[in-house]
Amino acid sequence: MSTDEYKVTVAKDLEDLIPVFMKNRHKELDALRVALAAADFEQLRQLGHRMKGVGNSYGFARVSTIGKVIEDGARSGDRAALQAGISEYHDYLSKVQIAYE
Amino acid sequence: MRCLLIDDDEDLRNLLSRYIRGHWPDAEVEAYDPLERDLPGAAFPLGSYDVIVLDYMLGRGDGLEWLKSLKQRADCPKILFLTGAGNEIIAVRAMKAGADDYQRKQELTREKLIASIRELTATAVERTVSPDLAARMEGHSLGAKVRIPGIEVLHMIGEGGTARVYLASREDDDEPLVVKILRQEIVLNRKALGRFMEEYATVERIQSRHVARIFGHGNYQNNVYLVMEFFEGGDLSKRLGGKPMPPTEALQFFRELMFALGDIHEKGILHRDLKPQNLMFRRDGSLAIVDFGIAKNIAAADRTGAGEVLGTPRYMSPEQVQGRALDLRTDIYSAGVLLYQMLTGRHLFDGETAMEVAMHHLNTVPPPLPDHLAQYQRLVEKLVEKDREARFRNADEVIGFLSRKFEQEAPDITQKLH
Repeated sequence: MSTDEYKVTVAKDLEDLIPVFMKNRHKELDALRVALAAADFEQLRQLGHRMKGVGNSYGFARVSTIGKVIEDGARSGDRAALQAGISEYHDYLSKVQIAYE
Repeated sequence: MRCLLIDDDEDLRNLLSRYIRGHWPDAEVEAYDPLERDLPGAAFPLGSYDVIVLDYMLGRGDGLEWLKSLKQRADCPKILFLTGAGNEIIAVRAMKAGADDYQRKQELTREKLIASIRELTATAVERTVSPDLAARMEGHSLGAKVRIPGIEVLHMIGEGGTARVYLASREDDDEPLVVKILRQEIVLNRKALGRFMEEYATVERIQSRHVARIFGHGNYQNNVYLVMEFFEGGDLSKRLGGKPMPPTEALQFFRELMFALGDIHEKGILHRDLKPQNLMFRRDGSLAIVDFGIAKNIAAADRTGAGEVLGTPRYMSPEQVQGRALDLRTDIYSAGVLLYQMLTGRHLFDGETAMEVAMHHLNTVPPPLPDHLAQYQRLVEKLVEKDREARFRNADEVIGFLSRKFEQEAPDITQKLH
């Protein structure tokens, strides 16, 4: 991914919500790993679906995109796709840069 | 204003609550977590709220079931239902179950949320005083009174210059459909209206995967309507988002557009109004054209004087700008302008005014494609030739050109779809 794809702009009046949002995303990443290890595809589908819903709402389009990959992967039971999606999510969360305007 | 926010996602509850309080500082917003609390029981003071925002997936509950249950109560306030994007069946079911409005959750912006709550909670006075609110209310009440055999008109989802657009479905299933009701000022032109009815009767008979399916059209108490398929994938404008597409994708969609033009031209119909908003995507990613320029021409018939340019001329052919007789090459030109936009993310011609853009179509040599797109230069040039005699003559000729020059690049989906 190019550097630009890690940049997110969030409205200034939402700044105080972002720490909770990011904390929940990291918890989500942990939950995804646990669910994959347990081959709990229903849990993975639900988590992916939630990411899809919440990402765009806050301006984190990439979270929604990865959420869709995970939701689709869980539906088809594609472990490789799920693993790749979770790795991508980890990479994204560790590098995302947030600007407030 | 009191709002009950029912969603299993803490972040969405926080966000929506912030949006509401940002607009109505005195609003009381109660966040209701269905993961921790059951469906509000009989003792819950539902009637003390002005509006409920209810998500369709509640973690351990089904939002539609909650909606049905809440709506059975006499004290239930208006409900804004949040649905998933690309799955309008949920919206149809929600509206049939009594939701007062719906929004696609993934596309819910601050503005959309505020507009919806404002509309749902407006007092009778506000509905009269505010022109935009009054217009919306008029649209809603029109949809509620129009009777179409076998079709349930559910909710107004958009307004354009020529028609109001409604989410609808058949009475015996939940398949989402669109109903368009022409504006009265357009219906008043009886001669042009007759042509509209005649041409849509033809469009209705076109069996093409690349043309929107028209399920019926008619007139109910002087309200002229069309019933057509619902496109869950949105339009090309949304897909582009002001950015270029990968060339292979652009070429694939362009090829599908050529199949569509081939199909309608064969029936003697010109589209006349190709633009990104009229290229729609189904859930499976396939493309179809909608909104033939028929209604637009009705609008134009009495109001356009010589030399006057109607609407946006971004995709108009030179002969359209000049008001000359049109043939199928006008659609080929417009398709070329669309291809340029898909490849570059930019308009072929820009200008401060509609007239300036129109003049560019007549007189200005199209800007060359960037170097990395040079292989498509000849294609675009021949599509947007100002002299129509030098342009591709028809869609088949374009498809042949594409096959010869770019066979390796667009071999898959279009072949399967056609």
